[in-house]
Amino acid sequence: MQVRESNIHIKRNFAKWQAFLKKTGITEFSPKETQQVERTFVWEADGEIMATGSIAGRVLKYIAVCSKVKGHGETFNQLVSKLVSEAATMGRFHLFVFTKPQYVQSFGFVGFHALAVVDDGAIMESGTPDVHDYIQDLPHFADQDDSQIAGIVMNANPFTNGHRYLVEQASKENDHVYVFVVSQEASLFTASERYQLVQAGCADLDNVTVVPGGDYMVSYATFPAYFLKDDQNVAHFQAALDATLFKEQIAAPLNITRRYVGSEPFSPTTDIYNQELTRVLPPEVEVKVLDRAANADQDVISATKVRAAIANDELAVVQKYVPQTTRSFIQNHWSDLRARIKEGSLE
Amino acid sequence: MEIKKTALAGTLESSDIQITLSKGDNGINIDLDSSVEELYGDQIRTVITETLHAYGIDNANVKAVDKGALDCVVKARTMAAAQRALETTDQPDWEVF
Amino acid sequence: MEERLRRTMMFVPGNNAGMVKDAGIYGADSIMFDLEDSVSMSEKDAARMLVYEALQTQDYGDSELVVRVNGLDTPYFKNDVYAMVKAGIEVVRLPKVESAQMMLDLVKVVEEAEKKFGREPGSTHVMAAIESAKGVLNAPEIAASTDRMIGLALSAEDYTTDMKTHRYPDGAELEFARNMILHAARAAGIAAFDTVFTNMNDVEGFQRETEHIHELGFDGKSLVNPRQIDWVNKVYEPTKKEIENALDVEAAIEEAHQKGSGVISMNGQMVDRPVVLRAQRVIRLAKASNLINEEGEYIEK
Repeated sequence: MQVRESNIHIKRNFAKWQAFLKKTGITEFSPKETQQVERTFVWEADGEIMATGSIAGRVLKYIAVCSKVKGHGETFNQLVSKLVSEAATMGRFHLFVFTKPQYVQSFGFVGFHALAVVDDGAIMESGTPDVHDYIQDLPHFADQDDSQIAGIVMNANPFTNGHRYLVEQASKENDHVYVFVVSQEASLFTASERYQLVQAGCADLDNVTVVPGGDYMVSYATFPAYFLKDDQNVAHFQAALDATLFKEQIAAPLNITRRYVGSEPFSPTTDIYNQELTRVLPPEVEVKVLDRAANADQDVISATKVRAAIANDELAVVQKYVPQTTRSFIQNHWSDLRARIKEGSLE
Repeated sequence: MEIKKTALAGTLESSDIQITLSKGDNGINIDLDSSVEELYGDQIRTVITETLHAYGIDNANVKAVDKGALDCVVKARTMAAAQRALETTDQPDWEVF
Repeated sequence: MEERLRRTMMFVPGNNAGMVKDAGIYGADSIMFDLEDSVSMSEKDAARMLVYEALQTQDYGDSELVVRVNGLDTPYFKNDVYAMVKAGIEVVRLPKVESAQMMLDLVKVVEEAEKKFGREPGSTHVMAAIESAKGVLNAPEIAASTDRMIGLALSAEDYTTDMKTHRYPDGAELEFARNMILHAARAAGIAAFDTVFTNMNDVEGFQRETEHIHELGFDGKSLVNPRQIDWVNKVYEPTKKEIENALDVEAAIEEAHQKGSGVISMNGQMVDRPVVLRAQRVIRLAKASNLINEEGEYIEK
């Protein structure tokens, strides 16, 4: 078998690649999934694809070996090995894979460790730095094991009075609070801006520690689900995976026994997410769902409203929803933020 | 010698070992993943550590995924990872060879 | 230079740990560790180290150990040669050779390395892979370029591309190159190796090609798969008649020695040098194929 790189963004190659993957049971080829694919390798014998795997950012995707291949396991190892080496030449040493639970062992043989396994799928990582390094690098407390510790995960795009309310409540009810700010760059405010605004907005709360979410507080909507069957509930799966990862990899080693979330009566996706948290986290981690903070007249505070106000050039409206720290940042970057909104469809 | 960048060498194919070398500040820390850990784990760690010392690397985090590599393979892959991490791939250290 | 059997030269991808480790178990006459085409650019350093370490520690039996280094014009060339000479490789194979000067350029670096690493001067042999029209036409000067030369090898993939053709089952496209290389090698008293046959599913085609190059007079063939070793050896196996005749020649030589005579005669006829050389080669082949027992008698299979 010969390995070669194939450009699947060329129609003819894509068709051949897709036809092979479909035979192996992978059915999801929406542009959202395939556009992220940067490099694809195929193993061929007599012109037929026998195995394939792709690199998309730090995720290895669309990995499949034809069941007819002799030495199935060895081919799988070769394939993953090739992808890992190629990723290394691209400067990527920390990789993820999303797969079905029955393949967790196979990936285990090639150095991947499961971060979370749920009924329909699993997320695994390999390389360095890993989740243990992430936990180790977080601030720890002398009385960690004997304290009541809470965790909050937020994107904070940007940090609002609503976020502040959630943090304040947690701060009052616990010895220590970790606030994890999602590190992914997919928002109007950059990760470092969001992180700084959360820090500034919580600076007066002594028992609150703001930390970057790193690779482990992934916005749940970005978990790929291309290997799931069409009829499986993608949102439930993604939320369950995220909740399990938090519980086992983050909460357990940090002794976090409570997680605070804001209620979201209007968004079904967030509702599903909260449902999954409530199903997965207890009893080890108690879930506290707080009603969303609102101004007078039931005017619920939300980051979405803040971004809309920026888009509409209404500084006065922004001020209704954000603390002073966020407000002055927005004020100082008003034209820049408005330009970003115009440039792209950032949410 | 200071590690300049994270580096990887070797493969996950049978008889090979994949070594990832990154900066560390507390001696040589080896995270070894091997099906023969009980029998040969110490031996593999010794070869890795000695090879790194030969390059003057005293602090490093090492991830090693072993697929049944012989000592000479462990040494060769550690050498490759070390020279890549030191960014000296084009100037092999003939003392270590 | 001592003549040895070179029926099979097995290619071993230099960055494949499993294949490098096991290369000695198939009984190839020569093992050629490849640092060139089978190794991607990002793995050149790693392959060099892997082959180096393996050569230091692995037992490859009686196989002649050859390494194909990267070309003279690559940034890997010098480090490849240095590492392999330090490891004590027997033969350095230079790819894409087109002139005697290229071999001399290689020898210069080999000499440097022998000196630097305390290897016996002249102990490292070299061979040339001919992969272009120019290389074929210059084969005689290449073959005679240096005392270190042990052989010429035809590499058909690049050669046929250079000739604006490709491989055909009948091999007509290689006929001139094969004869040229073979003549150049024979005139210089070195070995001639035929090109690889890559289609593992076409056993018949492989058989046909091997018989053909055996008939032309090649020492042997480059191989990509250990399974091909037995197939080649079978073709090179001498017949019962050839072996018995060679044994008779050997007996005649022994007799002449004991008599203190300089003239070897058999059946009342004088045995001249070519006959002796051929008999010696047949016996080497027969021994390699286990067709002669310890008493020096032909074994019926």
